[in-house]
Amino acid sequence: MRVLRRISQIAVFLVFVFLFLNTEYKDNDILPYAVNVFLRMDPLVAGAATLAGRAIINLLWPALAVVGITLIFGRFFCGWVCPMGAILDFADATVFRKLKRRAKLPANLSRLKYFILFFLAVSSLFTLQMVFLFDPISILIRSLTLSVFPGMNMAINSLFDALYFTNIHAITRFSEPVFSFLKDHFLAFEQPQFRLAALVGSIFLLILSAEYFQKRFWCRNLCPLGALLGLLGRFGLTRRRVGDSCISCGKCERDCRMGAIGNDFKSTNRSECIECLDCRSICPENAVHFVGRDKPELLPMNMGRRGVITSLAVGAVAAPIFLSEGYRKVSDPSLIRPPGALSEDKFLDRCTRCGECMRVCTANGLQPALFEAGFTGLWSPILVPRMGYCEFNCTLCGQVCPTGAIKRLTPHEKRKTKLGLAEFDRSRCIPWKGESNCIVCEEHCPTPEKAIKLRDEQITTLSGEVIKIKRPYVDENLCVGCGICENKCPLTGYPGIKCTSRGESRAQGAELLTTDEG
Amino acid sequence: MNRRSFIKASAIAGAGAVIGPSFIGEALALDGPLVSMAKGTPPARITGAAVEALGGMGAFVKKGDVVVVKPNIGWDRNPAQAADTNPDVVTEVIRMCLDAGARKVKVFDRTCNDARRCYENSGIGPAVENIKDPRVELSFVDERRYRMVDIPDGKLIRRWPVYEDVLNADKFINVPVAKHHSAALLTMGMKNVLGVIGSNRAVLHREINDALPDLNRVIKSHLTIIDATRILVANGPQGGRLQDVRQTKTVIASADIVAADTVAATLFGKTPKEVHYLQIAQDAGLGVADINKIRLKKISV
Repeated sequence: MRVLRRISQIAVFLVFVFLFLNTEYKDNDILPYAVNVFLRMDPLVAGAATLAGRAIINLLWPALAVVGITLIFGRFFCGWVCPMGAILDFADATVFRKLKRRAKLPANLSRLKYFILFFLAVSSLFTLQMVFLFDPISILIRSLTLSVFPGMNMAINSLFDALYFTNIHAITRFSEPVFSFLKDHFLAFEQPQFRLAALVGSIFLLILSAEYFQKRFWCRNLCPLGALLGLLGRFGLTRRRVGDSCISCGKCERDCRMGAIGNDFKSTNRSECIECLDCRSICPENAVHFVGRDKPELLPMNMGRRGVITSLAVGAVAAPIFLSEGYRKVSDPSLIRPPGALSEDKFLDRCTRCGECMRVCTANGLQPALFEAGFTGLWSPILVPRMGYCEFNCTLCGQVCPTGAIKRLTPHEKRKTKLGLAEFDRSRCIPWKGESNCIVCEEHCPTPEKAIKLRDEQITTLSGEVIKIKRPYVDENLCVGCGICENKCPLTGYPGIKCTSRGESRAQGAELLTTDEG
Repeated sequence: MNRRSFIKASAIAGAGAVIGPSFIGEALALDGPLVSMAKGTPPARITGAAVEALGGMGAFVKKGDVVVVKPNIGWDRNPAQAADTNPDVVTEVIRMCLDAGARKVKVFDRTCNDARRCYENSGIGPAVENIKDPRVELSFVDERRYRMVDIPDGKLIRRWPVYEDVLNADKFINVPVAKHHSAALLTMGMKNVLGVIGSNRAVLHREINDALPDLNRVIKSHLTIIDATRILVANGPQGGRLQDVRQTKTVIASADIVAADTVAATLFGKTPKEVHYLQIAQDAGLGVADINKIRLKKISV
């Protein structure tokens, strides 16, 4: 039976990787796969987004299915499905295989995950959605997107570049076909680069390293999704039952990756057991079953009243404090949200920082925010035009967002959606300084009637020469703030044209927009 | 003579000498460059007719040649929007090269929008892949393959990285689409070579009228086939509005890139004098920008 579980873990993980690799433009304006399905079936994400967003989000129906199955079969998700769990199990079976863990951690450490869950639940109830800090699926996809995949991509590219530049035909005739095969199937089309890659990657590394202390340290002690599924599955039908043939050898208790087995080896902590079936497989007497006539013995749930109340109170107190952050009063002008993003408060209620939109962004323009949207907006997607612009005809970010924080737009709607507006920096722009013509921004401006307009003007240069020059202006009615002008501006350092969120479609009162410059 | 030795030779010989194609045209009275201008439909047919009028592709592509066919695939636009070369024109040019015995036909462009989107939505990617001939190689540009090239007589630029495949090819066939462009006024053959150079090409737009002749000194188009099946007359080079597109149903071809561009300019109602880089190119000896000195052969299909 344990073999079945392993097959399930591997199969699900392969699906997960397949969907991750296909979260990318591949000659198709509509993604053919539901690449975000792992997030959409995550009841923690669903619960938080629904509570905080005060809305029924149709996209999240798979989470209901998981809840239903969990009610019947218990916390099987963690053992059989969760890709994070699979990675941790894999690490145990490889990196930490020979490790003898000596220090025994206090058993009540595992309460922490419930406290985290309660904190998240209460804060979400008060519209502060902090699930992004702890949700394992979001953490995993975000880490892969921002750190692991770009890092891997860079390493492989460097290797093949090094081989290529040896200029030795005997080498390149083999390396180049392999490289182009990898490029076609696994590598990024262009090297993705993200701000905060190191920070996000380090957190992932910490979770992996914690296996040093305990098997499934993350799942046992910290994961609020595990806590939620444990509570939901507490009364499921499949339960660990121990028959009379048990000789109390204690093998199962010592080996349990979740510490779910009591000291009598017969009782089980139902919320902790992830039904990995290891105890069933290793029992020398075949005494352990998960279905059958034997009566299951349950360990009582003991969270400690004090801890529960404290975590609930912290959630209730944190919400108003975080929500009163100054960033929410006056937002950073560089806070340019993806096309179709909900209004800022609603957006943050739903965005789980999974990084799907950043992963799929064709021009690598969507980047994780640091503090542009305040602490509660950490890692939320913002367009950083100097790094990458928003492709005019692309609607992919709205297609992958699991919670509808970014609406799915039709191409027509997308082309009409203003992310913000471009503004010239006349002290830097080449023709505005009177140096020469340039027009690069105008050339790239994607609106069918160009939002950047050129006017022939006669100017006197610093040396007194009178010349004719084409000076660019932004027509703010036409500009959609896609940022390609800023991206392609040939100036190094600060660009001569800059996009800000001013005039964005999603802002309230955007229709009353007044222009404040010529 | 391959491209590399050609560039070397022309660098040694200095500016001026334009190596003409081996084609010997019909014995017309004038001795100016021959430009063919085929009008009609469908696009593939007038493309064939335009090249036929120059003596056929065999006059340019020899058996065993490695040929680069360089369309404009710069923008994420569809064929009707006239921002990229008509896919039917591109595939017809490739077919003619294959028929003439080309060993390899390479097709690529350094795009402005995301390359995958441009290749796909321009229609050029699917059309070229559809030829299904192992000699045809459609690829995205590979950043590792630019090589610095000296431009000894460059007025504005003295050296610039150029795509290796172009330098190594036996023949370079330039297949632009004719469009409005706010800096260059019009973008046609000479401007299309910006798609085979590396580095920060945006800076070249500051002095585009000098940059284009400089680049065309070292990137020689053996044959220029201008797609004017439909042309973009405003909001170029990217377009997007069908009201800015004119159905001119024309393909222009010539071994003289300057002459080809000069003839194409007339479709926009522009005199070659208004397109400054054509004049500068003529002065540099790159070709003929005087409409009266061009042997224009009009074909109607």
